[in-house]
Amino acid sequence: MDQQALADLKVVEFTQGMAGPWIGRMLAWCGAEVIRIESHRVPGVVRLYVPPAAKDRKIQPEMSPWFTDWDAGKLFVTLNLKEPGGAELARKLVARCDLVVENHRFGAMDKLGLDWETLRGVNPELIAISSSGFGDHGLHPGYVSWGPNIEAMSGMAWLGGFPEGQGAMTQYAYPDSLSALHGLFAVLCALDHRERTGEGQRITLAQLETTVAMIGPEMMDQLAHDQAPARLGNRSTYRAPQGCYACAGEDRYCALSVSSPEEWHALCRIIGREEWAGDAHLASLAGRQQAADRIDEAIESWTRSRSPQDAAKTLQAAGVPAGAVQNTEDQYRRDPHLAERGYFETIPHLKKGEVVAPGIPLGLTGTPGRTPRAGAAMGEDNASVFRDLLGLTETEYADYLATGAIEAPPEPNPESPSPSPTGD
Amino acid sequence: MVAGGKSALAGRRVLEIADESGVYCGKLLADMGADVIKIERPGGDAGRARAPFLADRPGEDRSLHFLYMNTSKRGITLDLGRAESAPLLRSLALGADIVLETLPVGRLDALGIGHASLAAEKPEIVVTSITGFGQTGPHSHWKSSDLVAGAVGGPLHVTGDADDPPVALAGEQNFLMASTCAAASSMIALLSAARTGRGQHVDISLQETTLSVSHISGVGKWLDDGIIPRRVGTGLTASVPSGAYACQDGRAYLMVNRPAHWKALAQWIHEETGNEEVLDPLFEGPSSRRIEYRELLDLFISDMTALHTVNEIFHEGQRRHIAFTPLQSTEDAARDSHLQSRDFFVEVDHSATGPLRYPGAPFRPESTPWSISRPAPRVGEHNQEILGGELGLAQETLESLGQAGVI
Repeated sequence: MDQQALADLKVVEFTQGMAGPWIGRMLAWCGAEVIRIESHRVPGVVRLYVPPAAKDRKIQPEMSPWFTDWDAGKLFVTLNLKEPGGAELARKLVARCDLVVENHRFGAMDKLGLDWETLRGVNPELIAISSSGFGDHGLHPGYVSWGPNIEAMSGMAWLGGFPEGQGAMTQYAYPDSLSALHGLFAVLCALDHRERTGEGQRITLAQLETTVAMIGPEMMDQLAHDQAPARLGNRSTYRAPQGCYACAGEDRYCALSVSSPEEWHALCRIIGREEWAGDAHLASLAGRQQAADRIDEAIESWTRSRSPQDAAKTLQAAGVPAGAVQNTEDQYRRDPHLAERGYFETIPHLKKGEVVAPGIPLGLTGTPGRTPRAGAAMGEDNASVFRDLLGLTETEYADYLATGAIEAPPEPNPESPSPSPTGD
Repeated sequence: MVAGGKSALAGRRVLEIADESGVYCGKLLADMGADVIKIERPGGDAGRARAPFLADRPGEDRSLHFLYMNTSKRGITLDLGRAESAPLLRSLALGADIVLETLPVGRLDALGIGHASLAAEKPEIVVTSITGFGQTGPHSHWKSSDLVAGAVGGPLHVTGDADDPPVALAGEQNFLMASTCAAASSMIALLSAARTGRGQHVDISLQETTLSVSHISGVGKWLDDGIIPRRVGTGLTASVPSGAYACQDGRAYLMVNRPAHWKALAQWIHEETGNEEVLDPLFEGPSSRRIEYRELLDLFISDMTALHTVNEIFHEGQRRHIAFTPLQSTEDAARDSHLQSRDFFVEVDHSATGPLRYPGAPFRPESTPWSISRPAPRVGEHNQEILGGELGLAQETLESLGQAGVI
């Protein structure tokens, strides 16, 4: 097999949620060795999964599809970082790695003796990223937040949606993924700098700032004019018509966008309004924006009798940007293009045999990535990481287990709301 | 650039031939110190005509979108379609570490600067392409837009109120995520090339980047539970409680993911409203346990939030380690006291607009700070410096290219 792009990179994760773990997931896909440190005392939220069809089976931390999506491909160890021996082993892992990814609450790493100065002390060329909602300084760095909290706070939620509405929010904790992608880019820049200078460094990321940067032009409008920008819904300042149009079937829509004269003329032809193609008023963007309601009505009267896939195909064949509003099932079962590109990844799963996950969209055609494994238990790789990679002897390993520095799996307790081993 | 500050990507060069789907990729690289040369068509990029404008008056240096998305870049004009451009374009491409482009599939090859052609002369070069559907597959020649990417990539189906049609987020987020992914991939390709001597073609598909950033309730979960997510307003389908709750003077957003956070919230509701039922152990445990009680719990929470202002809920909630935050307008965000305390917004002086405030660093590297080293270029601002000074074109050649409309 070709060497993977980041085959030499070693990463240690002190993470939770999604914004931190997704960075490691993508690095692991590129061939990096990514060791995620967990604790049975505070299991990651993506592991807190109860099978919907069998609630009596309680929480199944290896089976969670979210755990696959954000964590597949990594090595998993369990340490009690509050034990001196646990923190010591964590520092030993840091000493042999290139990169630390951390997204615990502000101050949590310091309390554990894993603050930046200490880590840099054991590894002078270390690169570390700390990702949190509010960053490491300012009025309230310690406040707790999840992705949607940040989306609400940034102005993005308020500005989204239809003009007459109250805003729109994603259902996918968008600030988590946008922060992860920015964090990934930031650490790669730091690695490139280190390659050339030998200098490591720390990067902090405040998800609130990253998210506000995602509505940059709109915030500049607000800041320059002290006036809120307009909510655009599905419309655009530079494309018209543009919208989501109801199609045949329940809750089915097709989206389309028109900007060039050629696209406009093609659309007029398709929807049976050839006379509009010669209308001087509608030849300009401004003219079509003024007539948007009338044009939308005509488009929808054409789409209503068609499936979104057929409508999109007809429009694209005539050169009009269009696409079916797809749900999860459409993407997986009814999108021949995604299928041919092999977008979805089938990953070997330790408990289920195999699982399907969304692809990692890095598009590295020369060094394609892959996810070697999903479904690891907490502490799955304790023995191999601490004995083979860190070089602990049998006796040392047993001592760390005995003090609880390396956490052993807890005894199953059917009454406990904390994770139990896989159900019957 | 901060005086005396180092830049992570100093010495790296990028050639940008990008429309609105890829400009943010160039900005990310440029604000980290790469020398990004943006090619515009003679007369200026179409993005300069894009609203909103400063004081609502169009002008080639007044588009706020263009000003924001092109910071720290240098700009030249070149008509890609002209035969005279071909040797210039090739020199510029071979002088770069990364060629970033958003042209229709096949166009870069036709211009003589496709990856294979450049790599024959410079094996370590990275060519990063952003297109609607990627370089291969039955839809590779389909056209796209931010809205179309949101349709085929999934976010539209799940965004908005349950009774409304699907609706987009503000700010063309699908373009921004494709751009951010492209920036990260380009850096991975550069790091790999530094070891192997071989660059590569990075194939970014808007559909795929959109799908991957929005997949929280995606294929794995659906294959597992058979539930196809759709629009549900402000809450997250799989997380209960979550959503925006009305206070006396606005709304506050709440998310409860951890069992301990639910207990803290239930206790607070009980203290404030006297509600006993909320303490029922039935509701305890992880979020997914509470899914069937969503409506009831929303009522319990609203009873309490209605008693307070947004700020009271925000700060008292946080004191109890409950993730309540205000739902802020852009005006609130512009004045947000935490962002102010971190000097997030930065001032950038442009010769055409005077100083304006811009959103600042999306992340903060300590030794090689993010910074806006220069404002967006004016039309052809660096033609002389780059085509004359760096490519070594004679003054007469530059003038005749200008007269012929090539630059």
